[in-house]
Amino acid sequence: MGVLFSYFKSLIGAREMRILILGLDGAGKTTILYRLQVGEVVTTIPTIGFNVEQVTYKNLKFQVWDLGGQTSIRPYWRCYYSNTDAIIYVVDSADKERMGISKDELFHMLREEELQDAILVVLANKQDIPGCMSLKEVHQALGLEALKNRTFQIFKTSATKGEGLDMAMEWLANALKNRK
Amino acid sequence: MTDSKYFTTTKKGEIFELKSELNNDKKEKKKEAVKKVIASMTVGKDVSALFPDVVNCMQTDNLELKKLVYLYLMNYAKSQPDMAIMAVNTFVKDCEDPNPLIRALAVRTMGCIRVDKITEYLCEPLRKCLKDEDPYVRKTAAVCVAKLYDISSGLVEDQGFLEQLKELLSDSNPMVVANAVAALSEINESSPTGQPLVELSTTTINKLLTALNECTEWGQVFILDSLSNYTPRDEREAQSICERITPRLAHANAAVVLSAVKVLIKMMEILQGDVEFCNTLSKKLAPPLVTLLSSEPEVQYVALRNINLIVQKKPDILKHEMKVFFVKYNDPIYVKLEKLDIMIRLASQGNIAQVLSELKEYATEVDVDFVRKAVRAIGRCAIKVEPSAERCVSTLLDLIQTKVNYVVQEAIVVIKDIFRKYPNKYESIISTLCENLDTLDEPEARASMVWIIGEYAERIDNADELLDSFLEGFADENAQVQLQLLTAVVKLFLKRPQHTQGLVQHVLSLATQDSDNPDLRDRGFIYWRLLSTDPAAAKEVVLADKPLISEETDLLEPTLLDELICHISSLASVYHKPPTAFVEGRSAGIRKTLPVRQGSDETVAPEATVIPNQESLIGDLLSMDLGGTAAPPPVPAAAPTSNVDLLGGGLDVLLGTGPDITGGAAPSTTGLLGDIFGITTTPTMYTPPKALWLPADKGKGLVIQGTFARRSGQIYMELNLTNKAMQAMVGFAIQFNKNSFGLSPSVPMNVSALQPGQSLEYSLPLGTTGPVQRMEPLTTLQVAIKNNVDVFYYACQIPIQILFIEDGTLDKRVFLTTWRDIPSANEVQYTLNDIKGTTDSISNKMTLNNIFTIAKRNVEGQDMLYQSLKLTNNIWVLLELKLTPGLTYATLSLKSRSVEVAPYVFQAYDMICKN
Repeated sequence: MGVLFSYFKSLIGAREMRILILGLDGAGKTTILYRLQVGEVVTTIPTIGFNVEQVTYKNLKFQVWDLGGQTSIRPYWRCYYSNTDAIIYVVDSADKERMGISKDELFHMLREEELQDAILVVLANKQDIPGCMSLKEVHQALGLEALKNRTFQIFKTSATKGEGLDMAMEWLANALKNRK
Repeated sequence: MTDSKYFTTTKKGEIFELKSELNNDKKEKKKEAVKKVIASMTVGKDVSALFPDVVNCMQTDNLELKKLVYLYLMNYAKSQPDMAIMAVNTFVKDCEDPNPLIRALAVRTMGCIRVDKITEYLCEPLRKCLKDEDPYVRKTAAVCVAKLYDISSGLVEDQGFLEQLKELLSDSNPMVVANAVAALSEINESSPTGQPLVELSTTTINKLLTALNECTEWGQVFILDSLSNYTPRDEREAQSICERITPRLAHANAAVVLSAVKVLIKMMEILQGDVEFCNTLSKKLAPPLVTLLSSEPEVQYVALRNINLIVQKKPDILKHEMKVFFVKYNDPIYVKLEKLDIMIRLASQGNIAQVLSELKEYATEVDVDFVRKAVRAIGRCAIKVEPSAERCVSTLLDLIQTKVNYVVQEAIVVIKDIFRKYPNKYESIISTLCENLDTLDEPEARASMVWIIGEYAERIDNADELLDSFLEGFADENAQVQLQLLTAVVKLFLKRPQHTQGLVQHVLSLATQDSDNPDLRDRGFIYWRLLSTDPAAAKEVVLADKPLISEETDLLEPTLLDELICHISSLASVYHKPPTAFVEGRSAGIRKTLPVRQGSDETVAPEATVIPNQESLIGDLLSMDLGGTAAPPPVPAAAPTSNVDLLGGGLDVLLGTGPDITGGAAPSTTGLLGDIFGITTTPTMYTPPKALWLPADKGKGLVIQGTFARRSGQIYMELNLTNKAMQAMVGFAIQFNKNSFGLSPSVPMNVSALQPGQSLEYSLPLGTTGPVQRMEPLTTLQVAIKNNVDVFYYACQIPIQILFIEDGTLDKRVFLTTWRDIPSANEVQYTLNDIKGTTDSISNKMTLNNIFTIAKRNVEGQDMLYQSLKLTNNIWVLLELKLTPGLTYATLSLKSRSVEVAPYVFQAYDMICKN
């Protein structure tokens, strides 16, 4: 009965998927959010707080939360963890110095109980900047090989150029659909 | 299962339910949930735990939901200051919303969130809103600047908001102008320096006057109020302002009318020279004021309080309007009393007949307070309007005949004043008064009667008997009556010395020996000494001619009146007190005053010799004592003419000004104080409580309390400086005399200024490398402190423990040999009493104070502690404490090569032990 019901639900797409966009400050989270929503590049200022928008992708409705990445705001990320279906973790591929901090924040977050079932999408953003780290390097720098028991994928993107985002969303939409 | 289960959150209960509802996907559910949260908040339940969840509902296109969330934020942002940062981005976004209502709502809410951490993020959106295309947003943003100034004045000045606000004064929309001007005046008033931050110029004034005609009534009040703070350049400008404001007098809103009156009165002050203009203006002022008296009683009261001020300042304005102040039977009592006050102020020869018949009517009313005031008013009319004094007095006599107790008493109080005003005219009524002696039960009436008896003792045959009868219950009388009795008996004695010697001796002994009242005792002593040294001089002093009584005894002091006139139509004008007297946290700097009069060389108001009432007299005396800088130094301290007398000696002891007393008593006082305050042991070095080092009378208003402390190896002199003088003190400097331990300030004293009434704490770091001179007692430190007033000297005692240094431990063997090496002549013993705690706790306490335990032994049931300490000048002191557990005393032996320090070490040891 329950299986049948959830089947119907996914068919109609009634439930909004809750997605968090996280990452260090200046990684491009807000730009990605609005790229997804309106398909354009908007000028952004540092997000002191959060943005939340509805994004529809392939008949799936997402409620996307973009949280500020400043050190002072990171502690409050956890207030948003409950009922989260997926996390989009954005990394500035050109910011080699803070890759370590980004890794720490990522793993710190993934340890949270409330996020055990959440799907993870890592976006190696700002691939348009010359001299940035490659996908492989980012993968390594973040230590993603250590991830077990988690549906995840890493993509290279450039939010300003709009590259790679579609692929990532495509994958995410499928991953969410296939999840029981 | 342990008890920790009680501390884990249960996923049940109202808060949890609300939480899950707030996170619901459905908008309607969410809104319902926020409504429930707000409802709980309103009835006082703490729903602050839901802060993150409510904030998450903030980004919505639903205006109703947004408003509710904002309401919640205003309430709880303060209790969740860290989390409040999550709301910032939404504010920023909302300030750019296409809907002006949302923009204004956001900027208004931002101003109400008083969290330091997020204010700086809100400056950018505020700046944008100040330039918004919609006037409603601009107007709201203007007020927000004033709110922001209250939170962080520096931010407003640095970010250039004041300039932006000033620009808004020329806004095209009158409402924006009114709000900008309101914000600016609020900022000016709370300016910490007392100087207005933004001065209005002639051009802005013109813009304000233009906006005045177009904006709402409350906007008009704002504009008028700020106009009243403006001083025009010349008479022409003042005239034109008056002309443009005058139409406001016809406004239906009482606040607009009163504010307009305020501006006009202020401008009249400048236009004093132009008599004609002022007269026309005065005529225009009367009708609106009269109209105010036909509103509801509460408004009437406010109007009357303001009129009371206006009548004192400009009696001419309402001189023909006496009738409107006649009391109506159905007026509430507060209106009646206020009207009565104004009636007396307006009473003149022309209308006295009318007034008197009214007052006589009032005196037969039922309300006691009102009747009393009416009776008093009759007396005051007698004093004020000379030609009608006779009629007033006969009216009073009629009233006394009624034998109504409180009427008689009031009448006697005012008749005393009438006697003062018209000496040798109405004394014939004294006999009537004496008939009512028994009915007097109020102190003021009794005092007045006694004064009358004393003053006219020569005409009252049985004055001695009357006074004698009062003396029987002397001890039970009110102080006021006692003082009058004393004076009256002395007067009687000076007038009829034959039979009254016994009486005067009796009263003097009552006043000086049996009374606890210092005023009474002092007066008694003075009379006693006067009478015993020179009776002729006594006669001159006691029976001196009295200054004539003035017509008005309750006029406000002129400078206060001028200040209050500037506050017409505010709470200050209702209280008749300057705002500084009742608004908390208002800096005392700003006092409004009327502009200096131009072109008027004749004195406008004749100097009336106002007899201050008792309260203000006492106030004067007090302020004179405290404000030692303004007044000459108090007599007792600076009177070395010591012909041995009971007064001088007694006072010296009382004031305790002798330098020997302060110097010698200091250490014992600290110890005593410590005991009294029962300072609880904190795990730090013991610092004695602050002792009074420099009293106000010696410091010309500067009071210094202080102590010494040692913190992480550094010695500090902890000072508490209080300024009890009337003027600010600046230019502080401190210097020490040579002392036994070479203490000297290691940095110059850094106290910039001490405002009147201010008190501040200051820690002065001390070094021990100054010049050394042996003092007696050893720990005495003489200090000189300088400021712009004078140089003051005082001596204090250094608690020796602050000189114990941190490396005062000795190796066990070194300790033993040193102990042996020091001759036994250098050993001192001391018994500690009232010991509390164990040997270990004492040892710990001592270690905190740099007395280090080298070894501990137990010999035949006795605990032995061997301790060492080292003073800053490298004197070693070795101690041996013998303690029997269970006993409350212990023996402390001390050995040192400089054994002079022993008593001070014992004293310190004792003090540390007990604290």
